[in-house]
Amino acid sequence: MEYILTMGVLIAIFIILASSYNLVIGYGGLASVAHPIFYALGAYGASLLSIHTGMPAPISVVFGGLVAMIASVLLALSALRVSGDYLLIVSLGFQLGILQVIKNFEFTGGAGGLSSIPSTITGPLRTPIYLAISAAGAALTVWLIYRIVHGPYGRAITAMRDEELAFSALGRNATSLKVVVFAIGCGIAGMAGGLYAFYFQYISPEQYEILQSASLLTMVVLGGMGTTWGPVLGAVLLIALPQLITFLNLPPSVMAPLQGIIFTSLVLLFLFWRPAGLVGNAQKRSPLAAGTQDLGGSA
Amino acid sequence: MSPILEVKNLSKAFGGIVVAENINLDISSGEILGLIGPNGAGKTSLFNLISGVIRPDAGEIYLEGRPITRQPLYRRARSGVARTWQNMMLFTSMTVLENMLVAPRTYPGESIANLVLRRSAVRAAEEAAYERAMGILQRVDLTAAAHAKVTDLPFGHQKLIGLARALMNDGSLLLLDEPMAGVEGAAYETMQRVVREEAAIGRAVCVVEHNVSFIKDLCTSAVFMSFGRILERGSVDNLLGSQMLTDLYFGV
Repeated sequence: MEYILTMGVLIAIFIILASSYNLVIGYGGLASVAHPIFYALGAYGASLLSIHTGMPAPISVVFGGLVAMIASVLLALSALRVSGDYLLIVSLGFQLGILQVIKNFEFTGGAGGLSSIPSTITGPLRTPIYLAISAAGAALTVWLIYRIVHGPYGRAITAMRDEELAFSALGRNATSLKVVVFAIGCGIAGMAGGLYAFYFQYISPEQYEILQSASLLTMVVLGGMGTTWGPVLGAVLLIALPQLITFLNLPPSVMAPLQGIIFTSLVLLFLFWRPAGLVGNAQKRSPLAAGTQDLGGSA
Repeated sequence: MSPILEVKNLSKAFGGIVVAENINLDISSGEILGLIGPNGAGKTSLFNLISGVIRPDAGEIYLEGRPITRQPLYRRARSGVARTWQNMMLFTSMTVLENMLVAPRTYPGESIANLVLRRSAVRAAEEAAYERAMGILQRVDLTAAAHAKVTDLPFGHQKLIGLARALMNDGSLLLLDEPMAGVEGAAYETMQRVVREEAAIGRAVCVVEHNVSFIKDLCTSAVFMSFGRILERGSVDNLLGSQMLTDLYFGV
């Protein structure tokens, strides 16, 4: 029972992560691969604040979100002013660089990670309470992003993604819109990091490797990029499925690469056969495929 | 009366390629100025300089007497520079109406702070934009297409939507980049009528166009550009009558 509830907490946290990543890459069209590092900055920010000052968990989680948000604004201001294409490269460097910093600082626990994160909730109901909090966080995230991408703000995001130059020439400030969307997405990821840290009471750099980017992208693409429920479905499937594989009792040396192969294959298969994802309208092209429609040509 | 747009000694080069060389130009309220010249003369580059897509190396641009040279692209639109694009650049995943609703000069809904703190202002702006959009769609005879995806419309109608979207900006200057390319029939008539109406209410209009009869019918005067320079300004008939200019145009 405990195991299933813990799975629930993990799924809720990944719904928050995948949905916020979808806001960045699916709705915003901002090709960042650094989402795991904002998740990490939130987790480390929240944990360190709590360890060193004894600050209560909710405040620490919000602080973690702020750390991630501030870092994302710095990254976005440097990358997004020029062109969207630079974000991919800059975010890759950011992801790899910050992780090295975390691995090599004593302050962050180095490669061994941080344990001794205080448990704010104790007793037999700890896990159910955490599940309720995480589920509420996931619901709030999905609702918030839904609100952001609908109405006048969402219309601006879509227009910006479609034709940035025309969008700016109408009087819209594309740079500020991109920075804000990016900051919201990354700030939410940071708060997910804080939630994770306080539940599992242990975080280590390897949880935030670039491979996490691949699995988050898989959740978003498989579920349906640029849809409300796609990342939710993607997160549920991609957290639950690997757990089922563990029942096969394969040695870890086979497990890890096998999961990598499965994630990558799923992305490829979906991009070929169902680019809009499970939830997406098959008629509507996924934002990833946008721009390729002129390549068809007449036979 | 001072002109709406004044361009003074404007120059721009990309490496060795000069797209604008000491351009001086003014357009008055109600005027429809044709910008003609061979391909590569720098007509679209001049539009890009005026609307802020590219920055000049030297020179100044004034809109209603105020310098806008250092304003970024989006600020110039807010100052009142409306433009269309040769290839339309419509928002292809959106409907006709959505394309237009995102285009007013002031759009409080692009700020999260406004959405949270000034909800009534956002709502009022949305309603005003809706009214304006439907009014413009009526003028271009495309009310029925309001909720269609722009990519589902025929080419001529997409061109009209490009114009209609630019008209959501109620500023003083309207730049039209090849509005007639690929447009014929009823859409052609509509385009002409609407451009005339815009000039009649006092806008300064500048049109880049290869369709000579459109320029002849519509423009009050024209300038001839070649290799980034303005060679001559005058009536359309005089310009097209000049042997030197037609030779340049047709590459004889």
